[in-house]
Amino acid sequence: MSTNELSHLVKMANQIASNIGLGSTEDEAVDKVVNHISLFWARPMREKICANMQESANDLNPIATKALVQINAKL
Amino acid sequence: MLQRSDSVNPDTSGLSSLGTGTVAAPMIFDPRTDIDPDKDYGTPAPTNDPTPVGELITLHIDGNEVRVPKGTSVLRAAAMADINIPKLCATDSLEAFGSCRLCLVQIEGRRGYPASCTTPAEEGMVVKTQNDKVAKLRRNIMEMYISDHPLDCLTCSANGDCELQDMAGVVGLRNVRYGYEGDNHLDAEKDESNPYFTFDPSKCIVCSRCVRACEETQGTFALTISSRGFESKVSAGQDQAFMDSECVSCGACVQACPTATLSEKSIIDKGQPEHSVITTCAYCGVGCAFKADMKGDEVVRMTPWKGGKANRGHSCVKGRFAFGYATHGDRITTPMIRDSIDEPWRKVSYEEAFSFAASRIKGIQKEFGRNSVGGITSSRCTNEETYLVQKLVRAAFGNNNVDTCARVCHSPTGFGLKATFGESAGTQTFDSVEKTDVMMVIGANPTDAHPVFGSRMKKRLREGAKLIVVDPRSIDLVSGPHVKANHHLQLLPGTNVAFINAMAHVIIDEGLESTTSIQERCDVESFEAWKAFISDKRHSPEETEKYSGIPAAELRAAARLYATAGNGAIYYGLGVTEHSQGSSMVMGIANLAMLTDNIGREGVGVNPLRGQNNVQGSCDMGSFPHELPGYRHISGDEVRTQFEKAWNVTLDPEPGYRITNMLDAAVEGTYKGLYVQGEDIAQSDPNTHHVEQALKNLDCLIVQDIFLNETAKFAHVFLPGSSFLEKDGTFTNAERRISPVRKVMEPLGGLSDWEVTLGLSKALGYEMNYNHPSEIMDEIASLTPTFERVSYERLDQEGSLQWPCNDETPNGTPIMHIEEYTRGKGNFALTEYVPTEEKVTKRFPMLLTTGRILSQYNVGAQTRRTENSSWHGEDVLEIHPHDAEDRGIVTGDKISLASRAGDTQLRALVTKRMQPGVVYTTFHHPESGANIITTDNSDWATNCPEYKVTAVQVNKVLNTEDASEWQAQFAAFTKEQLAYLDN
Ligand code: SF4
Ligand code: SF4
Ligand code: SF4
Ligand code: FES
Repeated sequence: MSTNELSHLVKMANQIASNIGLGSTEDEAVDKVVNHISLFWARPMREKICANMQESANDLNPIATKALVQINAKL
Repeated sequence: MLQRSDSVNPDTSGLSSLGTGTVAAPMIFDPRTDIDPDKDYGTPAPTNDPTPVGELITLHIDGNEVRVPKGTSVLRAAAMADINIPKLCATDSLEAFGSCRLCLVQIEGRRGYPASCTTPAEEGMVVKTQNDKVAKLRRNIMEMYISDHPLDCLTCSANGDCELQDMAGVVGLRNVRYGYEGDNHLDAEKDESNPYFTFDPSKCIVCSRCVRACEETQGTFALTISSRGFESKVSAGQDQAFMDSECVSCGACVQACPTATLSEKSIIDKGQPEHSVITTCAYCGVGCAFKADMKGDEVVRMTPWKGGKANRGHSCVKGRFAFGYATHGDRITTPMIRDSIDEPWRKVSYEEAFSFAASRIKGIQKEFGRNSVGGITSSRCTNEETYLVQKLVRAAFGNNNVDTCARVCHSPTGFGLKATFGESAGTQTFDSVEKTDVMMVIGANPTDAHPVFGSRMKKRLREGAKLIVVDPRSIDLVSGPHVKANHHLQLLPGTNVAFINAMAHVIIDEGLESTTSIQERCDVESFEAWKAFISDKRHSPEETEKYSGIPAAELRAAARLYATAGNGAIYYGLGVTEHSQGSSMVMGIANLAMLTDNIGREGVGVNPLRGQNNVQGSCDMGSFPHELPGYRHISGDEVRTQFEKAWNVTLDPEPGYRITNMLDAAVEGTYKGLYVQGEDIAQSDPNTHHVEQALKNLDCLIVQDIFLNETAKFAHVFLPGSSFLEKDGTFTNAERRISPVRKVMEPLGGLSDWEVTLGLSKALGYEMNYNHPSEIMDEIASLTPTFERVSYERLDQEGSLQWPCNDETPNGTPIMHIEEYTRGKGNFALTEYVPTEEKVTKRFPMLLTTGRILSQYNVGAQTRRTENSSWHGEDVLEIHPHDAEDRGIVTGDKISLASRAGDTQLRALVTKRMQPGVVYTTFHHPESGANIITTDNSDWATNCPEYKVTAVQVNKVLNTEDASEWQAQFAAFTKEQLAYLDN
């Protein structure tokens, strides 16, 4: 089982969204995910996942997707 | 509080030697400053509290007025006044026993001659320690002992360190009237089964110090005195050899033995040491202080140091005995380079190795960009070394791709505690356990992984503290000699957060929370939101029981106990952090402590037990890719500018790659260079296939280590590392205690690790100038507020210091968050239970969890190269009898262990420690390939790998000659790489 970098990043983004999103409105949840990824992910990781949003569209959960759109805008 | 007037007697070693008739006030012994850890006071201090406020008593000993805390024995009171009453069965690490009667004294107004070790000092007592009658009695006692003792003093291994010999001298024994021909034990057979010490019963005086040390200090109860009278003798287990008994080889009995009966083999071989140096153990996060007993530059014994505040004179088999690896023949002491890993190594000078490495790194960065290289610091190296490696990465590589192996163990601790309390560290001292009423141990196995602290826990438990163990496996603490858990919550791996939420739910549900402290100390808004969340029925134990497997009634009882039994302390280990929800679990633990007012004083707290010696330190030193030293985010302009000025570079404000991300990028081909100091990611990191693929993809792997470890087999540059005996520095243990590591021998490779990093950095074009590690610490202190007042000078004065140590707390901070939380108000974090994706299936119907055992340490590179392997020669798979029976497996069978990540083969150990459906192994031996099995799932917040949950299948292997495919490859690759070394 060797996941590639992209699928790993997608999984991580989803995990973050499902763990810190709860208990808040969707907007707040998205903010929290944006904040977490900006604080802890290296730029090349953010670039990679954002550049491949299309490819991973089906795998990303909605909160993660929205967060990544915002992250992409800031790159 | 005790005071002493220095004007009367500035000598700190003694006190109160006032002749009668002197007008000055009596001296008072102040245990904070006056206890000499190298002196044996005969009986323990009445309290371990460094600042006892208790009552003082005045008595007269041989005409001297002496004032001591109430509860002090006459023997100890005299010793404090430098009057050393002869003694044999007493030593100040053990409670008085009163069996040898050598310490007898005369007390005015009392009949007979009481033993001073068992007689408490009383107000107004007048004691005479020496007169003709007492002298005669003592001589008679010694005569009895010596009549049944070999007289080979000159050639005895204890010569120079024998209390029996000393006492014979002190009492003036001149002849033995009974002769030596009567009944004796001189032919008793030696037990040499233990690799580190021998037991020679012919020299035993049956003082029972060893028996008591095993009980009181270690808590193993392996020794007994069997029979009575003349026949009485010490025996291990049921008259077994030491190695066959319950003995865990901690050595406490050897240290307590006043004669040569129990002696270290190293002392028998080499003789008594001629000097010693105080240093810190390089194994686990307890951070025990030791006296390295030396002959020249050779360590002949490691003696746990009584002055060490983490260990108080105790140690385990690793720290005390397993130091031989430092001079093992496998040490590589010359730098080596090679162009590819399919080539033999070439031995070169340091200069050549540095410039080879530097030009490769620079070439890679030119071709693949600044972010294509990075470094990994070690939790086994010193603070100073770690600091330098992260500095090199940030300043010389010009990025923040630096991470530490703490990533794969305690990164969720840092994240979770910072989010709730505001500081990424445990809240207590180890001493705090002495005031604990109920301990909850979650996902930790202290008696194996943190043995000295485990012993201190057991001691407190024997005094009556309650215990809750939360673990899928039945660890030793659950049921041991004189220790029994009140509740063992045997949850299914992966359901931690469900468990901790259920605990909190019960406390709220039953109204057991501490409303006042929540109102006063916590962020009330966060509490209200959290309360609404946790009150939901889905968190009730009746619900969570369905998947966690913990019976609701048992969990409710445990929650009540924790919330109401007084001081509640939580101790946790990697069973908490190494999960896909490790960070959530840490926050859940913090919530629970805040909820029940169990933070901010002695006896309570949240205590992560750190695996390796310097996990805390490596995190403190800015080893994480998003943080500068002192846990400050790299994006903060103010802090970054401060470092830029000090280091004279421009720093990248973006966080860098974590280890997992580095490996992913390496597999992808965008990450090409890595500098690894003192770590073995090829063995310790999960999903070995993935790690190996990543390492093979690197164009420049620089490994700095003492051995050719698994990672080094993939390296292009090898830089010799130095063991903890070969350098100066500091380690920071699990209680934030910064302790000195002192050089006792020259580095075998010529340079200490910090010097190697300086050389590499210089070759990369970034020169750092330090003449000694103390200068590195000065720089750390100048840039890190929590280390402001730390310096080598202060460490020499205090022995050790617990950070935060700054202008407000110049002597350090034993207990944190006393007045308020570091972040101000405590924050309740929402911790929803999100099941891991790693689920059992038909193909992989069982869960594997991993752990450690006592005699081995981490990847085993050090301990495997010592006699510790006598206890654990290979990793085995523990499996419940039901599961074993289903598969036709019996103990000793070769089994195959397979997960979605890979498969390997091990031997089975059928044991009821496991619950059905769960298996367990360790990863101390590379060829077992436990990490072939583990997956690359990780904690959502920190990427800490999920070592503790892997769905697996176990089957009996029919053809026992076979190894798994990976094991066969591993063996071939190892052989090939070792051959490259020989050239
Ligand atoms: S070495 Fe430790 S465990 Fe073994 S008998 Fe001595 S005190 Fe007990
Ligand atoms: S072995 Fe040593 S400590 Fe134990 S009873 Fe004999 S003399 Fe005393
Ligand atoms: S391994 Fe841990 S418990 Fe054992 S001596 Fe070293 S620091 Fe102490
Ligand atoms: S030292 Fe007091 S009785 Fe042995």
